[in-house]
Amino acid sequence: MSPAPASILRDTPPDGGWGWAVVFGAFISIGFSYAFPKALTVFFKDIQLIFGASYSQIAWISSIMLAAMYAGGPISSILVNRYGSRPVVIAGGVMCGVGMVTASFGNTITHLYICVGVIGGFGLSFNLQPSVTIIGKYFQVKRPLANGLAMAGSPVFLCTLAPINQFLFNQFGWRGSFFILGALLLNCCVAEQLTQTNGIPKKPTTDRSEAQVNGHNTQLEKGCLDNFNKFLDLSLFKHRGFLIYIIGNAVMFFGFFAPVVFLAPYALSHGFDEFSSAFLLSIMGFVDMFARPLTGLMANTKWIRPRIQYFFSFAIIYNGICHLLCPLASGYGGLAAYSVFFGIAFGMVCALLFETLMDLVGPQRFSSAVGLATIIECCPVLLGPPIGGALVDTFGDYKYLYLMCGAVMVSAGLFLFVMNIYNYRMLERERRQEEGQCFLKDAFIVIRF
Amino acid sequence: MFSPWILSLQLILFPLFWRGLYTTETNPQLVLTDPVTTIFKSAVLKGDSLVEKVEILKPIDLELACTWTGNPNKLPNITGYWRKDGSEITNSRLTVQLENEQYNLKRVFRITGDTLGNYSCIFSDTDEAKIDFNVAAPEMDDKKDKPVVAYVGDSVAVACKTKLPPNTWLWYKANGTEQELINATTDPLRYKISVDGNTTKLTVMNLTEEDSGVYVCSAIYNIKASVSRVEVRVITFMEPLKPFVAIVAEVIILVLLILFYERWSSRKSSNSPTENGVHAEQTHKLTREGNNGMDENTTTRQRKI
Repeated sequence: MSPAPASILRDTPPDGGWGWAVVFGAFISIGFSYAFPKALTVFFKDIQLIFGASYSQIAWISSIMLAAMYAGGPISSILVNRYGSRPVVIAGGVMCGVGMVTASFGNTITHLYICVGVIGGFGLSFNLQPSVTIIGKYFQVKRPLANGLAMAGSPVFLCTLAPINQFLFNQFGWRGSFFILGALLLNCCVAEQLTQTNGIPKKPTTDRSEAQVNGHNTQLEKGCLDNFNKFLDLSLFKHRGFLIYIIGNAVMFFGFFAPVVFLAPYALSHGFDEFSSAFLLSIMGFVDMFARPLTGLMANTKWIRPRIQYFFSFAIIYNGICHLLCPLASGYGGLAAYSVFFGIAFGMVCALLFETLMDLVGPQRFSSAVGLATIIECCPVLLGPPIGGALVDTFGDYKYLYLMCGAVMVSAGLFLFVMNIYNYRMLERERRQEEGQCFLKDAFIVIRF
Repeated sequence: MFSPWILSLQLILFPLFWRGLYTTETNPQLVLTDPVTTIFKSAVLKGDSLVEKVEILKPIDLELACTWTGNPNKLPNITGYWRKDGSEITNSRLTVQLENEQYNLKRVFRITGDTLGNYSCIFSDTDEAKIDFNVAAPEMDDKKDKPVVAYVGDSVAVACKTKLPPNTWLWYKANGTEQELINATTDPLRYKISVDGNTTKLTVMNLTEEDSGVYVCSAIYNIKASVSRVEVRVITFMEPLKPFVAIVAEVIILVLLILFYERWSSRKSSNSPTENGVHAEQTHKLTREGNNGMDENTTTRQRKI
């Protein structure tokens, strides 16, 4: 018996049309969110000089901004569940803009911490969350590709914001640059308009149709969780797939960003000049830009899509192997090759990061899931590079940093791979059990109509 | 084309979290005490040419020693001589003998403020192999080729840094060809000069447009002063305001455009008869079901909790 009668009421994502405008909007939001804190470092030298602060104190600006961005995840989810996504994203864009503009008038480091770090960071997180979530509402069949394209925003924006920031700095100094960047960040509001404009027909929701969509388990849970859903879907912590994802990713992030941060100093320690060392990062960023949509395209194929969790594990393991082999690279050619492979690996993981979560929990619960995931990932993301730095300091050699990161990534990848084999088996078993029940329930529905 | 953004990219991902990671090589300290001492500097040449930097703080006697490993057909005797700033030093030609598979050449020079320059030792075989010694006062560390921008009423800070601390630092404001000494004690509300070993910082407060111009920092060593110039540009707040207003206008226009598009498309869909619309939706969805049946089965399998 076909499930068609019940699913007439179901909302089908258009998988195209206005969806691509949504992807573009998400591209802009993701680009600003991930690239902006890193691109700010162009101004640090001058701010450090005028405020008489040490490099540590200045670098905290970026760290606070990233921390606020990750910590704002669950807050953003709660607000979106309460007030809807549109007001939240507009507020996010305005917060970013206002934060940067007020920062341009600052005279103390603390002023910058608050305006750029806290307000800007939270603004970016209010921006980022709904943009990532909305892709799941517009795409189903082409979702991995859409995710890959949207995530490509990060390297593209980093490569464009860097020279833009340098240009603004040369023309207007750091104050004028912050002022103008505040206006630029208001473009997030434009991006949000694109993503929040409703291009799909309104869905008439009934509890029964929701159950058809999410599997029969949710039909029971909907009653109990109706209250929870108003705030944050904490029942996600009972979701097997979500737990696997969280644990695997939390471990993975310890070793994810440190190699990027230390690539240039590693090259410098080999005796290459600053220009060549920085060029390695450009190579990596450039390859990353293309790796993300290509990964999305690959993940969309009918061979990989059903096993996308394995693909994600493979990407993480590949990342780890790159790092483990890095100390063997000799000469500039070796390091350049490493940068290329690392760029591919980095892009693959980033492109699949949100897609796999969406795949596990479904678009409906994705909003809460991503909020919880970002706040849990916050710790390893921020602690990873300083721990890496401590390793370099203790042993005086970058080799141990790369070995540690490689080992961490490989073990995270293996963990995810093994646990997902288990998860897929359990899902298969549950599906077979429910198919039997579903069949009976469908028969009753048809008879009733 | 690439250099500014590659440099900034390097600044971006260069210790975001970890500070001061790489150390620059420090030159061997030339510790100088009175009376005039002799400094020894040697270099070994394996190829055709080599350039070495020698930083001198005060008048000294400098002995430069060159060693050359020679070329494949090692002649027992070759000619060696010295050049200063490209021209040969008279009576410096010597015959150099091959000792332990190497040729050695050395000479003592009296270095004062006037005799700083480029000294080269040349081994003349079938070709010339040379080592250049750039004997000079310590140079400034960072080169500033872009002007520093600041605002009227605000303050600006300019810094200079060398590898070896000088006796004193002096700051000048350049007015055309003239240089006017900046005295922080007579004008404490406007200027502040701080010195920290091999770094100095000049802060100019309460900027006005007349403060634009070139500032010169001078590191005074016994032998010579080492200078570095930096340009300061003072602008009013009107300048960044123009692009700011332009961007805000662009944002407002785009937001309104998208809003209007949304209103227009929703009005268009509400104008058409509702029943047909629903019917169209249903058939649309049914056909989609057929096409996506395969994928949806596999994906719903994964979305189950």
